Amino acid sequence: MSFPESTISDPIPTRRFSLNPFTFLGQISEGRYWAYYLIIPSLLLVALVILYPVISGIGLSFQEMRLTRPAKNGFIGLQHYQDLLTDQIFRTAVLNTLEWVVVGVVSQFLVGLITALALNKGGIVMKAAGVIVLLPWILPSVVAGNIWALMLDSRLGVINDLFVKIGLLDQYKAWFADPNTALPATMLISLWRGFPFFTLLLLAGLQAIDDDLYEASAVDGANRWSQFWHITLPLLRPVIVATVVLRVIGLVNSPDLLLLLTNGGPGYATQVLSLYAFQKAYSDFDFGYSGAISVVMFLILMVFTVIYVRVSRVAQE
Amino acid sequence: MSQRNANRFWSTLAYLVILGVVVFSVGPILWTIITSLKPEQDIVTSELQYLPRNITLDNYVAIWNRSGYPRLIGNSTIVTVITLVICMLVGTLAAYGFSRYQFRGRTQLLLVYLVIRMFPVVLMIVPLWIMMRGFGLLNTHFGLALAYTTFLLPICIWMMKGFFDAIPPELEDAARIDGCTRLSALFRVVMPLARGGLVATAVFIGIAAWNEYLFALMFTNSQNSQTWPVGLALMVGEFQLPWGALSAGGVISVIPVIILFGIVQQSLVRGLTAGAVKG
Repeated sequence: MSFPESTISDPIPTRRFSLNPFTFLGQISEGRYWAYYLIIPSLLLVALVILYPVISGIGLSFQEMRLTRPAKNGFIGLQHYQDLLTDQIFRTAVLNTLEWVVVGVVSQFLVGLITALALNKGGIVMKAAGVIVLLPWILPSVVAGNIWALMLDSRLGVINDLFVKIGLLDQYKAWFADPNTALPATMLISLWRGFPFFTLLLLAGLQAIDDDLYEASAVDGANRWSQFWHITLPLLRPVIVATVVLRVIGLVNSPDLLLLLTNGGPGYATQVLSLYAFQKAYSDFDFGYSGAISVVMFLILMVFTVIYVRVSRVAQE
Repeated sequence: MSQRNANRFWSTLAYLVILGVVVFSVGPILWTIITSLKPEQDIVTSELQYLPRNITLDNYVAIWNRSGYPRLIGNSTIVTVITLVICMLVGTLAAYGFSRYQFRGRTQLLLVYLVIRMFPVVLMIVPLWIMMRGFGLLNTHFGLALAYTTFLLPICIWMMKGFFDAIPPELEDAARIDGCTRLSALFRVVMPLARGGLVATAVFIGIAAWNEYLFALMFTNSQNSQTWPVGLALMVGEFQLPWGALSAGGVISVIPVIILFGIVQQSLVRGLTAGAVKG
């Protein structure tokens, strides 16, 4: 193992260690392994609460592991994965996940970008608005779920009332009970909670772009539209790639909203992979099958991330 | 179209867009606050009241006195504090190490701490549950806080690293020439300068722990350890909770979040966006 090279010169020549704990720690900090001492606690914690569970979770996917009938537990190889192939709910969940993620990311990105472009005008009003639009993003999923469940309620919902008043609807609608509107309704809530994340990071990206570039191109006769395509978008690209990846991961991984609002129903109209895996574990105690669904989900995410980052890098060149 | 007219057009458009987005963002929150202030008979009515005719705090009294809400808030507070202690202590040290020193495996480790975010929560939740059950940590505040470090520690390290990176290392060098050890340079020179970042990171971690639902649902099943999001979500099913009380419960729990966010939002935004902009 090589020695850590600190930015600072050699340690102070050895002296006897003190018994005072603070002085003692101070002396430790002069030693050559100081950098490792700083990192090691985090490594141990990550190994314990992340790496071990992930490896163990992958292991579980090859086992029959049900708390409800422990007698049959044991290694079963690829059985769960084979079962997934013929599982109709799993197939529906894959398709729903795809829709949930694609529509979710595209809509949240677009609203987030347009908001960021407008906020980038600057000024005191925009500054205040920039803080206010972040509010939905910091709200807990439970409260967000309740807020929208109330607004979309089939008897008391304010959205129903407004839609009827302006003539969009003939009568109140039970948005979460209709298989055709349940998923779009939850995606609207997802948009509400998700677009501020894009706004926040894209606005920071916009503010980092040098104004001189716009001035120079204006001198050359470029209009706003071509400035947007030839200066803004290319310079934002790294931020866009990073935010899209993070948001896709977030959307694929967190079943909170759907768990709270529809629990996958009506029927399986809003069933997605993360929710299916959670239900299998939480309601059925079928840990092995839940693990297999999670592993598939993880693989899909990995493949997506690698391809997406590659393609956007190629597109840049 | 002259240049001035064009500018005016774009400016007006920007303000219109922002007006729409602000209404979309805040409207639902305002509606919840209004609902929480209405008496029950004014919520369940054939003619929807946009401005409440009668304002009452009954819903707040009801949620607070019934169904053990103070207990839930107390549990959430304890879990949040423990999460903060673990993440800030371990995360700050690690972030400082990553920020200041070159050592073998540094880049790879930093990357690992980034990739960890890709691991599905549902993949970790079951093995963590089995592990916690083995250690007797199910239904304990500490167990839940430990579970929260799975997704909060990496974020904490990345945010704090950004704040440390912004402090020039020459300051520590100067302190060391004056006879400080590295440790005392860290606590006497760097920490006071990183205070804003430290607070912002703590608020971000705190909000995330306070809001968390999925782990809390899996790892707690008794009043002694349940956090408020789980309690509130379960109340909907158990008690057929009226909308007014439900809204009041939401408002109560969200107030600390919004206040803290308001106080530190500037440095928080800086911390969250620093990594993304640098690429």
